[in-house]
Amino acid sequence: MRKLRGWIVRFGSLFGKGRKDRELQEELESHIQMHTEDNLRSGMTAQEARRQAMIKFGGIESTKEAYCEQRGLPLLDSLVQDLRYAWRNLLGSPGFALASILSLALGIGANTAIFSIVNAVMLRSLPVKDPHRLVQFTIDGDGTFTNPLWEEIRDRQNACGETVAYSSTEFDLAEEGERKPARGMWVSGDFFNVLGVQPALGRLFARDDDVHGGGKQGPVAVISHDFWQTHFSGEPGVIGKVLRLDRQSFEIVGVTPQAFRGLDSDHGYEVAIPIGCEPLFHPDRSSLGNRSTWWLNILGRLPDGVTAHQGSERLKVVAAGIMQETLPGDWDAAGKQSYLKQRLQVVPAAAGFSGVRSQYGAALLTVMTVVGFVLLIACANIANLLLARAAARRREFSIRMAIGAGRARLIRQLLTESLLLGLLGVPAGLVLAKWGSRFLVRLLSTAGDPLQIDLSLDGMVLLFTAGLTVGTCLLFGLAPAFRAVRVAAHEALSLASRGTVAGANRFNLGKALVAGQIALCLVLMVAAGLFSATLRNVLREPLGFDQHKVLAIEIDTRQLVPADQRIALFETLLQKVRQLPGVASAATILFKPFSGSAQNGFAFPDGEDERDTRDSRTWLNRVSPGYFKTMRATILAGREFEEGDKRGAEKVVIIDEKTARDYFGTQDPIGQCLRGDFGPNTKGRFLIIGVVKDMKYAEIREPKRRTAFLPMAQNGDPSPRVTILARLAAPPASVIPAIRAATTEARHGLSVSFGELETQISESFRQEKAVALLSSFFGGLALFLAVVGLYGVTSYTSAQRRNESGIRMALGAQRNAVIWLVLRDVVVIISLGAALGLAIALGLARLIASLVYGLSPHDGRSFLFAALVLSIAGVLAGIFPAWRASRLDPSEALRCE
Amino acid sequence: MNSKPDVWQGTLALMVLKTLERTGSLHGYGIARQIEQTSADLLKVNYGTLYPALLKLEQEGYIASHWGVSDNNRRGWHEKASWMDREVW
Repeated sequence: MRKLRGWIVRFGSLFGKGRKDRELQEELESHIQMHTEDNLRSGMTAQEARRQAMIKFGGIESTKEAYCEQRGLPLLDSLVQDLRYAWRNLLGSPGFALASILSLALGIGANTAIFSIVNAVMLRSLPVKDPHRLVQFTIDGDGTFTNPLWEEIRDRQNACGETVAYSSTEFDLAEEGERKPARGMWVSGDFFNVLGVQPALGRLFARDDDVHGGGKQGPVAVISHDFWQTHFSGEPGVIGKVLRLDRQSFEIVGVTPQAFRGLDSDHGYEVAIPIGCEPLFHPDRSSLGNRSTWWLNILGRLPDGVTAHQGSERLKVVAAGIMQETLPGDWDAAGKQSYLKQRLQVVPAAAGFSGVRSQYGAALLTVMTVVGFVLLIACANIANLLLARAAARRREFSIRMAIGAGRARLIRQLLTESLLLGLLGVPAGLVLAKWGSRFLVRLLSTAGDPLQIDLSLDGMVLLFTAGLTVGTCLLFGLAPAFRAVRVAAHEALSLASRGTVAGANRFNLGKALVAGQIALCLVLMVAAGLFSATLRNVLREPLGFDQHKVLAIEIDTRQLVPADQRIALFETLLQKVRQLPGVASAATILFKPFSGSAQNGFAFPDGEDERDTRDSRTWLNRVSPGYFKTMRATILAGREFEEGDKRGAEKVVIIDEKTARDYFGTQDPIGQCLRGDFGPNTKGRFLIIGVVKDMKYAEIREPKRRTAFLPMAQNGDPSPRVTILARLAAPPASVIPAIRAATTEARHGLSVSFGELETQISESFRQEKAVALLSSFFGGLALFLAVVGLYGVTSYTSAQRRNESGIRMALGAQRNAVIWLVLRDVVVIISLGAALGLAIALGLARLIASLVYGLSPHDGRSFLFAALVLSIAGVLAGIFPAWRASRLDPSEALRCE
Repeated sequence: MNSKPDVWQGTLALMVLKTLERTGSLHGYGIARQIEQTSADLLKVNYGTLYPALLKLEQEGYIASHWGVSDNNRRGWHEKASWMDREVW
C-alpha cells in the first residue's frame, strides 16, 4: 500500500518540476549554510568553515541526481528526455526528417487504406447477436437455394437448427416512368429474431408475417435507419405509412437500428420484405413454388458446442429426404439423379456475404502484398539514412559511453528517435489512408451498383496502424542502433577520419539493404507488367459485336400487361423507337449482353441419341429481327429472323459458330434441325436458319459457350421485361426524352431505365483496370524509392572514399578507372538484387494466376522488360556519383580531413 | 583517521523517524546533526543519501513536510513525523 502511495506521488511530481528544483536548491544551500555557521562557532575561519561543510556534505550534484531519481519516474523521465533530444535532432536535419516522414506516411497510409477495405469486407463481423455461431448453408458448394428447399430446411429444426433465409434484390420506388431503385432484402419471418436485431422504432417481422401472399397484417415492410432518415426525414410517424414498391403497397411496421446494415458487407439495405409477399409482384410467375429458381441464401445458428463440421454431418441424415420432397418434376432422368445426390453443408459466415470478397478477394490480397513491399522498400531507405547518420555520430556515442552511458541506454535513445519518426508519419498516413480507400472503393464501384463499404476507422484498423508503425520503426531502427553502439569507447576519440576504406567503413549492410530493395522492386515491376498486359488483353478481346454508340433501354411492364399482349406491345415499342430521328437501328433482346442473367438448357442435333447433359448444355437468348444487323455481328451463313418467323409458324433457331462446329462439324447446319429443351414452354424441334460468329454473353473472360437464338415473337411464355438495343446516330441525351415519350404513348405506367452499353461493358472489367492502375502506380513508386536508395548509398560510399580516390588519382589512375571503381559496386548490387528478385517473382507468380488473362504468369517478356528497366535506372542512379567522384581534384581530396 | 561506519539506508529511515518523534519538526540538517550527536559521533550520516531518503519517507506517507521559516530564520523544509503509522514496519 505504501509503495503504491509512493508511486502515485511520483506520478504527481511530473507537474511543477521547476518550482521543486528551486526548492531543493534552496534547501541544500541552507543546509551548507547552517553547517558553515556551526563550524564558524567552533572556531574555524570563514573559508575553512565553508570548505569543511562542503566536504562533509559530499557531492551536491550527485545528491541532486539521487533526489531527482527518487522523486520522479526515471523511465518516463528518460523517455521524455530522449524525445526532446530526438526532436531537436530532427529539427537540425530537416531534409532527412521530411524525406523519412513522407516515405513513412506514404507506406503506412497505403497499407492502412487497403487494410481498411479488407477489414470491412473480409474480417469485420456482422453487428448481430453472436456472429461467430453463424453459418451459411451450401448445396454442392453453392450458396443459393430454391424456395421449396428453404421451406423443407426451415421445417426441420432438430436437424438444421435455427435458420433464416434472405436474398438481395432491388425494388422500384417510382410510380411510373424512370426507375428509382431501392436496395431490398427478401427475409424470412424469423430473420430479425434469430439474428438478435432489436427494432429502433415499431416492430420487426414475426413468423406470421411470412405467409404466402401476406400475413395477418397484410403486406408489411421494415426499413433501414438510413432510409428512414433520407426518405422520411426521421419522423416518428413513419410507422403505419404506406410504401410503394414495384407499384405494390406495403405498410411500414418498423425501423432497424443504425448499426444494422443488412448482411452484405459491401452494400447497405433500404427495405426488407417477407419472402411470403413475393407472389404479390408476379402472381402468374411466382418463384415460391418454382423448384428450379435458385435465389435464396440460407443462414443458420449453430447450437452450443457444435462445430460447423459436426453441423454438416447432421445434415447428411436429412439431405436425402429434403431432396426427394423438392424434386422438380419436369427435369430429365439424369438431372433428377444428380438433384437427389446433392449434398448439404454449413460453413462459417461471421463476416456476412460480400460480392466484393468473392469477386475481388484475390485482387485485394495481391494489392495488399504490393503495398506491403512498398513499405519495406521505404523502410530500407530510412534505415540506410539512419545508418549513415549513426556513422557520423560515432564520436558522440563513444564519448557518452566513456563517461558511463550503458549500451542499452544508447540503444533505447536511438529507438526513441526512430519511434518519433514513425509517430510523426502516422497522422499524414491516416489522412492518406482515408483518401486512398475512398478512391479505391470508387474505382471498384459502377454507376449502376455503387459500393457502400463502411470504411469508418474501427478498433481493428487503428490496431493495425499502430502495430504497423511500431513494427516498421523497429525494423528500420534496430540495425542502425546496434551498429552505432558497436564502437569501443576509445576508438572514436582517436579516429582521424581519414576516410580510408577500413573494414567497418565498407557500409556493407547498407549495400545489402539496397540489394533487397531492388529485389522487391523487381517483383513489383513484374507484377505491374503482368497486370497491365492483362488489361490490354481484356480491352482487346473481341466481343463479337460493336458496343459503341448503343443505348440499352430496359423496359419492365410489371403487372400492367397480361402475358398474351406483351409480344405485341414490345413490337410496337420497337417500331416507335426505330422511327425516331437519331436512331439508326434497333432490336429487342431478352438477356442484354453482360446483364448478369442467363438461361440455359440442352440441345443436340435432331436424329442423334440424347447426349450426356454436359455435352449438350446450350445457352439461350431471344432476339427480334434485325438484332444482328443492329449489333453489327457477323452472320456466317443463312439469314436473320424475319416477320414471318412468328407465333404459329415453324419454330426456327439461329446458332453460333461454336454450336455449329460442336454439333455438325464441317457440315453445313442450315436446313438441319436442332432438338432443344429450354424449359416447359420451349421444347421441341427447331429449324436452323442461320449461323453467327461467336458473341460474348455475360463476361469478357468467359470461355466460349454454345448459344442458340430464338425469335422474340415465338416466345410462348413472354417475360414482363425486355431490353431494346438502339444504335444511335446522335448523342444519347438528345434521343432519350423522345424515347421516354414514345414509351409513355404506347402504354402509360411502364418502368423504363436507360444505359449506354459501352459503359456497362467497360464497368465489367473494373477489377482489371483497378489492379493494373494500382500495381503500375506502386511499381513506379517502388522504382523511384529504390533508385533514390541506390543513389544515396553510392553517394555516401564514394564520399567516404574521397581520400582513397584522391590518392589513386595522384598516383596516376585515370578518371575512368575511378568511375569504374564506383560503378563496379553498383553493378554488383543491381545484379544480386535482380537475381533475388527474379527468384522471388518466379516463386510468387503462381499465386496470381487467377488475376492474369491472356498470358502466363511466368511470361518471359514481362520479366525481361522489368529487369531491363530496373538495370538501366540503377546504372543511371550510380553514374552521377561516380562521375562526381572522378571530377575531384586529388590535392583537394587529400587535404580534406 | 578512523572512518566511521556508514549508516545503512534502512536504518537511516528508522533513525530519522525516531529523531522526529523526539524532537517534533526539524529541517534536514538538523535531523542529520541530531543523529550524529545522539550516537556520540559514532555514526556518520551521508548527507547525500539523507535527502533522497527523506523524500522517500514523505512519498510513502511516513512524514509530512512544509515550507516555512525555522527558529534560526532559515528557510527550509521542516519535517514532521506523521502519527498515522507509529508501528515499526
